Amino acid sequence: MVKSGLFEGYDTGSFYDEMFSAPGQPRPHYAKLFQKLAAMAPGQFEERRRLADLSFLIQGITFTVYSDGRGTERLFPFDLIPRILPQSEWERIDRGLSQRVVALNLFLQDVYGKQSIFKDRQIPRWLVYSCPNFRREVIGVEVSRGIYTHICGIDLVRDSKSGDFYVLEDNVRTPSGISYVLENRLVMTRTLPDAFQACEVLPVNHYPAELARILRSLSPRGEDGAQIVLLTPGIHNSAYFEHSFLAQQMGIQLVEGRDLIVDGGIVYTKTIRGLKRVDVIYRRVDDEFLDPLTFRADSILGVPGLMGAYRAGNVALANAVGNGVADDKAIYSFVPTFIRYYLGEEPILKTVPTYLCANPGDLSYVLEHLAELVVKAVGESGGYGMLMGPAADRAKIEEFRERIRANPRNYIAQHVVPLSRVPSYDPSTGSVAGRHVDLRPYCLYDGEKVTIVPGGLTRVALQHDSMVVNSSQGGGSKDTWVLRGEG
Amino acid sequence: MNRYRLVHTTEFVYDGPVSESYNEVRLRPLHDERQSCLSFRLTTNPGSRGTAYRDAHGNWVHQFNVLPEHQRLKVEAESVVLAHEASDAPADPTTLAEFDSRSHQLDEEYFDFMAPTGYVPHLACIKEIVEVAERASGGTVAGFAQAAADLIHQRFRYVKGATHVHSSIEDSLSIGAGVCQDFAHLLLGVVRMRGIPGRYVSGYLVPGSTAAPDAKQEDVIGGQASHAWAEVLMPNTGWMGFDPTLGKPVGLRHVRIAYGRDYGDVAPVRGVYKGHAGQSLSVDVRVRPAIDDAGCEQLNKITVGNVPPPSVLERPQQPAQQQQQQ
Repeated sequence: MVKSGLFEGYDTGSFYDEMFSAPGQPRPHYAKLFQKLAAMAPGQFEERRRLADLSFLIQGITFTVYSDGRGTERLFPFDLIPRILPQSEWERIDRGLSQRVVALNLFLQDVYGKQSIFKDRQIPRWLVYSCPNFRREVIGVEVSRGIYTHICGIDLVRDSKSGDFYVLEDNVRTPSGISYVLENRLVMTRTLPDAFQACEVLPVNHYPAELARILRSLSPRGEDGAQIVLLTPGIHNSAYFEHSFLAQQMGIQLVEGRDLIVDGGIVYTKTIRGLKRVDVIYRRVDDEFLDPLTFRADSILGVPGLMGAYRAGNVALANAVGNGVADDKAIYSFVPTFIRYYLGEEPILKTVPTYLCANPGDLSYVLEHLAELVVKAVGESGGYGMLMGPAADRAKIEEFRERIRANPRNYIAQHVVPLSRVPSYDPSTGSVAGRHVDLRPYCLYDGEKVTIVPGGLTRVALQHDSMVVNSSQGGGSKDTWVLRGEG
Repeated sequence: MNRYRLVHTTEFVYDGPVSESYNEVRLRPLHDERQSCLSFRLTTNPGSRGTAYRDAHGNWVHQFNVLPEHQRLKVEAESVVLAHEASDAPADPTTLAEFDSRSHQLDEEYFDFMAPTGYVPHLACIKEIVEVAERASGGTVAGFAQAAADLIHQRFRYVKGATHVHSSIEDSLSIGAGVCQDFAHLLLGVVRMRGIPGRYVSGYLVPGSTAAPDAKQEDVIGGQASHAWAEVLMPNTGWMGFDPTLGKPVGLRHVRIAYGRDYGDVAPVRGVYKGHAGQSLSVDVRVRPAIDDAGCEQLNKITVGNVPPPSVLERPQQPAQQQQQQ
């Protein structure tokens, strides 16, 4: 009888369990980790966990929750038991994501360019033009090297019924979270060194170098001496830690809007030695706040005149302006169409069937089945503007009914995907229980190939029975290990 | 006389010093089969640096910035325009019934000119105007647009100051009055509610006395030549102008500058600057017959000497006032 220690009495429940194929039966790619963890003395795991938390705290790795009135920075809860994927499974995901990123980029080139997809009647123009994040201001703008989707975070979930991965949503505006992938890995290797060494885990630490390489390649004045900056909304932004982390990792300047100035269509940073020209901006400021002359006049986060410089090709922005039309949750249901239309390929990854409330037929179905569905506002991200029907009370459902009726185009609905689970440690009980997870890999596109650091951010819903994994909604994270080989 | 020289001057005067002024102007008249823009010149005082581009609707946009401290900013656009004689083609005979049978196709192509906007929201109370216009339309699309323009001209009073540059049609509907910007938006509201594409036109109305020196002096509505009206899509012959403010056909005296979904797409001058100071805006448009046919477009060759660095004083960023199209 194998000693199962920490996993004694662990219940896989009625969900797909990433670690166990049956109670007490670890999957082959989890076998080594299982041995290491099960062999730990009681209390040892808890001690390691505290060390890991302390390490995050000391490094100041935090995020901010907006909807919570306290508005404080918090530690992003980290769970020590990693999510492991065998190489063969990862390779399929990698291919599927690459295909998707290239198709999304072609879609953006097309809707802001020739618009052949409308002429060929693959998607109705009204659906695209009515996206809250469709930006008419960039129609006809030629972006550097034709790249819109430099950095994408694409959320995947494993469906417990089929065991298959589905794309849940695309994030092609300013996806965040990669800093946690890098930091989680660092903390993991320090906290559980023997377990990490026992498994052959593919590295992730080349991400900043790869991103810096792509940013440099966008420079309108050539790569040599290209001046690259990271534009942050500032210290109050939920992802400010990540902005400063990435800037430091890439060795580029971290700036706020007030540090930049545009003169005659050229962007400069203000330095103590005078103005210095800027070639590439990795911007983590949303479109509508980027330039008060073009977008919201009340934005003080942006740089007046920036869009003029961008349009003239004097500065490159990553990601491009207007990408929100591609990760609109109503457009999501057309991504398989984009893959077939632009690439002539069949989609490798599945997408969740989606009801568009803008279609009258779908709308009446959604309104009748709100208690069974997940409803999402099309332009939101981070779990904001969302209804989890099965978990919601009557008042919340009625509130959404009114919101959907008032603006059907703004909502889509899907059936709940029962997410897979990974054993996770519950400090309040000192035991391990199954918790639902998703996976957000980070894809970098240089115009020719898509580079994805193996794995990505595994987000975990730490509350029992919850399927909402967003950090802003009380989720945590795990390190994600992609093994060399099958374990 | 259908060749005009237009000088459009916009001047901002601030109560105190301001800096880092960024502006975007749509002042260059269109150049197409209906009018030729023979020359265009944009100057600013203080001098500025800028870029130009064409927006999604095909309008010319000039952006420029003035970084050093200043207390007034003058923007002068001078253009020479030749208005072409209209063809004698008969009005588009398409009936509303024929139009309705094809409308799904137009919905797709002209989404932007059919969907509600901030200035032209979808309001149930317009339905009554739609119904009256339909009864007076003679059954055609052109007749409908004309009847709608006439109804607005008759029912709404032209009152300067009744509304402001950011007013939506809700304001003019509630007070029964407005200026040409509101009237153009109202007409768009009516035709769009009927399912017919309509677009906002920013431009100039050349005073009658200038257009025909021998003709009898005619009041320019609003007292100046800056003007706005709307164009409605005729399914067979294309866009056709209707002027609900003037109550007369759109013709040689209408000079077009820019198209859009509403005023927000075509504001002649918009900007932001830094400073605590209050601002006042004055606009003057002068039109006279162009005698010489001065050559091609000449954009202001902007010459800026040594630009002093922007003041280190932190100043709040403010939006510049915008001119209402009256």
